[in-house]
Amino acid sequence: MASALRPVLRPTHLPSLPTSTTTTTYICQSCRHARLLRRPKRPYTFTQLVTLSDGSAFTLRTTSPVPVYRSTRDTRNSPLWNPSSKELLNVEDDEAGRLAGFRARFGTGFDTAKDGKKEVDTESNNASSVPASSTATRSKSLEEPKFEDEQNTFEEDDMNLLDLISSFGQENAQQDSQTSEPKKGGKK
Amino acid sequence: MAESSLSLRLARTWRSFIKPSVCNRCLQTRRTLATQTTASQGQRDADLEESSSLAGPPSAASRANDFDPLRIAKSRKRQLVPSRYQFRSPKYYRGPLHPHQPPPPSDPASREFVPGPFSSPRLEQAYHNIIAPDFMTMCYQHTPPGFRPSQKGPRLRPWLGDSPYFQNRPLRGPRGGDVLRLLRKPITFRNIPMIERVTLHAYVKSALTSGSSFIHVAGMALQAITNQRVVIHEARTNEASWGLIKGKTVSMTTDLKGEDMYHFLGKMINVVLPRIKDWNGVRATTGDNSGNLTFGLDPEAVAAFPEIETNYDAYPGKMIPGLHVTIHTTATCDKDARLLLQQIGIPFYGKVVD
Repeated sequence: MASALRPVLRPTHLPSLPTSTTTTTYICQSCRHARLLRRPKRPYTFTQLVTLSDGSAFTLRTTSPVPVYRSTRDTRNSPLWNPSSKELLNVEDDEAGRLAGFRARFGTGFDTAKDGKKEVDTESNNASSVPASSTATRSKSLEEPKFEDEQNTFEEDDMNLLDLISSFGQENAQQDSQTSEPKKGGKK
Repeated sequence: MAESSLSLRLARTWRSFIKPSVCNRCLQTRRTLATQTTASQGQRDADLEESSSLAGPPSAASRANDFDPLRIAKSRKRQLVPSRYQFRSPKYYRGPLHPHQPPPPSDPASREFVPGPFSSPRLEQAYHNIIAPDFMTMCYQHTPPGFRPSQKGPRLRPWLGDSPYFQNRPLRGPRGGDVLRLLRKPITFRNIPMIERVTLHAYVKSALTSGSSFIHVAGMALQAITNQRVVIHEARTNEASWGLIKGKTVSMTTDLKGEDMYHFLGKMINVVLPRIKDWNGVRATTGDNSGNLTFGLDPEAVAAFPEIETNYDAYPGKMIPGLHVTIHTTATCDKDARLLLQQIGIPFYGKVVD
């Protein structure tokens, strides 16, 4: 059994100690013939320095002759092993609110449902700029109805339906600000 | 040439004429019928020993004084043949009664000797210095002095009843099943769970249908990963639904212990497991109720091992095998084993069943 807290002067396991599991040859006990004592085959091993992504390093006996191995992805920068670290979490920092603005304008129901409140704020800020562009695009579309636009009718309906489904819980918030109009114009 | 050989032969014959075929000393000791009478009358027989055999051997002290191996070695003109001073293990084991016995495999002179360990792995040091003390502290359960745990009944129950067939019958198994689970003893400094061995198992399904090349590639990949030769296994039975044919090579295992095991685990945990895409750990329900946990690695994860990654072109892409990794610990229940592996750095997810 384990003698974990004692210093290991004589390891319990030596590779040369006989074990029933390591012998590859079938040992016949009742055989009378001479049995060949095979020399064990061992691959050549090198000492390799493994450098983790944070700079810590340790040596390893491996079969690969590369002297130094630098890893880019390991336990030091993987979120599964560092659940509390802020840098590794896949959170976008949106200080200027540009991503939220984009999502408010072009995002589908899936995205808007995620952060509805933020969207409301940014939309009120961007309200001045949005209608102008939307009207511009509208006039363009009115001037020359493209082939794609004609074909897109079904998809437009589909998107509206999706929006309807996703905005089921958020109706009150939407009604307060009354900003659904520019969003639809931007969707196109 | 002819002349010289002829002269040599002449010289030899001349010498034999001068010298008698029997040496002088031999002539003196040689007895004939004529000499026998004189010997019996006059001097004593030279063959008779002076001392009697009843007196015993010479004393140990005198023998020790006479013993001088250095003189013997110096008096030797030529070097000894190597077989006189070099031990050579026999190539064959010829049974216990043969005079030339092979040394045990732990002897460096043995043919089966495997040298090592050559390094002290990082994970092993971490275990002895950090993990084991922490584990003991975490599992410490305080009992006040004078506390006596409640006595449990015997796990194997006797057969109670009047039936004459109950006499001398083997004991009954435990209630609720026939399996006699391992007992969990309180963790002390002498039974802290440690990793005993790691078994890697690769079932190479394609070897059944498309030749032995899959077996070769899988064996080389496993050897590169583990620093050890693999042991191949044949199918034991026919199984039509799996396409198994009895006697065909289908899988391979490697048993890792000691240094190799710690190196493999350290490499796998630190470098390989974090690179698996969309992996959230080992299922917490794994285990065989006696402290051995298993999880699988898919071929992409195996290809992410540094040995294979640096030499990726050497392995045909579709032939890299998936692996089952079984970690055998000395823990007697899965809970302890999971705790140990969590400390070592293997993440677990999902519902915990104990």
